[in-house]
Amino acid sequence: MSKEYQMRAAINQKLIEMGERERLKELLRAKLVECGWKDQLKAHCKDVIREKGLEHVTVEDLVTEVTPKGRALVPDSVKKELLQRIRAFLVQHAAL
Amino acid sequence: MSPAGCSHVNGYKVDNWKQNLRVIYQCFVWSGTAETRRRKAKSCICHMCGAHLNRLHSCLYCVFFGCFTKKHIHEHAKNKRHNLAIDLLYGGIYCFVCQDYIYDKDMEQIAKEEQRKAWKLQGIGEKYTTWEPTKRELELLRHNPKRRKITTNCTIGLRGLINLGNTCFMNCIVQALTHTPLLRDFFLSDRHKCEMQSNSCLVCEMSQLFQEFYSGHRSPHIPFRLLHLVWTHARHLAGYEQQDAHEFLIAALDVLHRHCKGDMIRDDNGKKANNPNHCNCIIDQIFTGGLQSDVTCQVCHGVSTTIDPFWDISLDLPGSSTPFWALSPGGDGSTVNGESHLSGSTTLTDCLRRFTRPEHLGSSAKIKCGGCHSYQESTKQLTMKKLPIVACFHLKRFEHSAKLRRKITTYVSFPLELDMTPFMASSKESRMNGQYQQSVDVLNNDN
Repeated sequence: MSKEYQMRAAINQKLIEMGERERLKELLRAKLVECGWKDQLKAHCKDVIREKGLEHVTVEDLVTEVTPKGRALVPDSVKKELLQRIRAFLVQHAAL
Repeated sequence: MSPAGCSHVNGYKVDNWKQNLRVIYQCFVWSGTAETRRRKAKSCICHMCGAHLNRLHSCLYCVFFGCFTKKHIHEHAKNKRHNLAIDLLYGGIYCFVCQDYIYDKDMEQIAKEEQRKAWKLQGIGEKYTTWEPTKRELELLRHNPKRRKITTNCTIGLRGLINLGNTCFMNCIVQALTHTPLLRDFFLSDRHKCEMQSNSCLVCEMSQLFQEFYSGHRSPHIPFRLLHLVWTHARHLAGYEQQDAHEFLIAALDVLHRHCKGDMIRDDNGKKANNPNHCNCIIDQIFTGGLQSDVTCQVCHGVSTTIDPFWDISLDLPGSSTPFWALSPGGDGSTVNGESHLSGSTTLTDCLRRFTRPEHLGSSAKIKCGGCHSYQESTKQLTMKKLPIVACFHLKRFEHSAKLRRKITTYVSFPLELDMTPFMASSKESRMNGQYQQSVDVLNNDN
């Protein structure tokens, strides 16, 4: 396991333990609603369902079709803000 | 995608399955306590590759965590014939035979309860969830197929009001109230539970009024019932004389507040809060603010503070016989508080600044000072302690003196966004955001 990967795992653990991961999720959720990302993706999901047919579509289909677009549409400002929050958290809990 | 669960889930529903499922949710999906969070942080990694990402799932039949993306959980399911797994991110139940997530009613119920519990533990409280109609609501929707879709260019909610004889003072306030979003939402979602026995509840009549305004009819509405109820409950406004719109607003808010008894929040014992000073009716929630009055003794500098509730702020205007401050500092064409400023025009902010300035009470109006134990001269200052959600500013355009009754026609300009921070009661703990956006202007131009 690479060092970078170990670090990611350790950071993730710390975030979960301190409850910060949940708070970050909530922040992200709010930001994505505000900037209209949620509505855009919802519309895209509806398109996929219409394409595949309501009776046959599975969650996997949606995940495969929607994930790349979802990742691409996240605004840079949101990414920056989350990154800042995580950095601030790490600075506070520097004993890692 | 089956909406009602699948048959394979029944194999799981034996013995103490409900409790087992709850434990899984509490420990690995929505960990509310510090202890469960620690356990989750340490143990939630894939048993095959150690990854913590990749849509980790937990087997429902044994203690096994596996990646979904890398198909590690799929392998486990095949080898052990454990057909159900739970998504540790969102709590969804996956059936490997159906090859999709299934939505079993009982399991969904448990999932929701556990999620709420975890939120409560983390201090997040109630969160917004989308509306899920009950059976009864679905029935009602099927029996009433007419739908109205609100588009961006919709004119719904716009309707004229017939003047019933100098009733424009009432009409303009009614127009303002029907377009106050919080009030509109309260009435259109039918939140008023009437406890008055007679037919004279003004809140019920307001409810009717909102129905009329948002019915989609374009013809003007005739508010005769409303007028009659207002005359009944606010005798001083009865008759066909011209009245003051501001007086009507205060009288209407007062009657609505009194008639809202049925809608007050009940405490934990189901008893209603009976304290008239702590009413939580919709009118108080929207319109009530707190005005702080600080009286400072000029001798010992002790401050005596009172806070009074208010529904509106009455502001003096320049052009009356009482002296008014000259324009805000900064001279011609300056920008103060974000408003650009032509010399010669009064702004709402000017009026507010005058309202909140310290006023020397003079030697003829000495106050008994609690610190000095004697009558002393003092200064008095008004500031906003608590801002209401909707603030009403009343410009005192009528001047009554011994000789005349006249209307002050000084032009007062308003900003589209108003920052009340300079007028708030100074308090280091107060982190209230004092910014308003202009919603409604009521100009009753009678005479």
